[in-house]
Amino acid sequence: MASSPILRFRPADALVILCILLLAGASLAPFLRNAAVEPATVEVWQNGVLTRQVPAMSQVTFEISGTYTNTVTVDYGKVAVTHSDCPTQDCVHTGWISYTGQTIVCLPNGVEVRLTGGGAEPEIDGVSR
Amino acid sequence: MEHTKRLTMGAILTALALALSYMERFFPLQLLIPLPGVKLGLANLVTVFALYFLTVREAGMILILRCALGSLFSTGVTAFLFSIGGGILALLVMAALKRCKGLSLYGISMAGAAAHNIGQLSVAALVLGSSYVWAYLPFLLLVSLATGAITGTVAAYGFRGLLGAGLRMR
Repeated sequence: MASSPILRFRPADALVILCILLLAGASLAPFLRNAAVEPATVEVWQNGVLTRQVPAMSQVTFEISGTYTNTVTVDYGKVAVTHSDCPTQDCVHTGWISYTGQTIVCLPNGVEVRLTGGGAEPEIDGVSR
Repeated sequence: MEHTKRLTMGAILTALALALSYMERFFPLQLLIPLPGVKLGLANLVTVFALYFLTVREAGMILILRCALGSLFSTGVTAFLFSIGGGILALLVMAALKRCKGLSLYGISMAGAAAHNIGQLSVAALVLGSSYVWAYLPFLLLVSLATGAITGTVAAYGFRGLLGAGLRMR
């Protein structure tokens, strides 16, 4: 009984690996399509609301307050959460992002920092007016 | 198995799952792979064990208790939603694949790890109201192949010992 067939790698397991690889490949396609666009704007979303927009090609550090406080640093095309007092620290561990479509998440604070390809909305409105 | 024995088994497994998910913090995998939600998934071993030696229902109850108690002890409501979303999807996928006779613990564990990541991202997308988090999916899936293979190996060696000791699969 100690040698059940489930204890050894079997051919069908390779099928599981293949399926996961295919799924990974399929989900990579939209990411690559976005990444081809130059990042233009850093968007800060808090609990589903857009709270701040910063041009990606700038050098600025700001804080997001909420349940916790995240410090965001924008440095000419790349963004990172450089400090956070949240318990998980996932946002800080994510490090720098620099491709359009990438996002840094701080779930405890309900915060998402996105890099988008479009210009900042208020600025476009300001120019067109 | 008689009633009292099942109850005791469930309690021990819940405690074990809690201890494993706590222990996991001392392997800071996210320092190596900087993606949110990356972890070894040792607590999933308990789900795998419960699926093979107990029932799907018991596996689910242990999972829910583990997530609820875990969030009480540490990181709160969002962490609870996160782990329960991943855990339940992993349980359902593994329970379904267990019926496919050709698969071993390796395939089951890798599918479970991948499902866990998909479940977690679904919760994140819902909580944040954002589809941007799906950008993490391809990378998390690749990581889940490795973590699933590791937990699968641990499960295979653990099962070998348990079966050798006379424990019987359902």
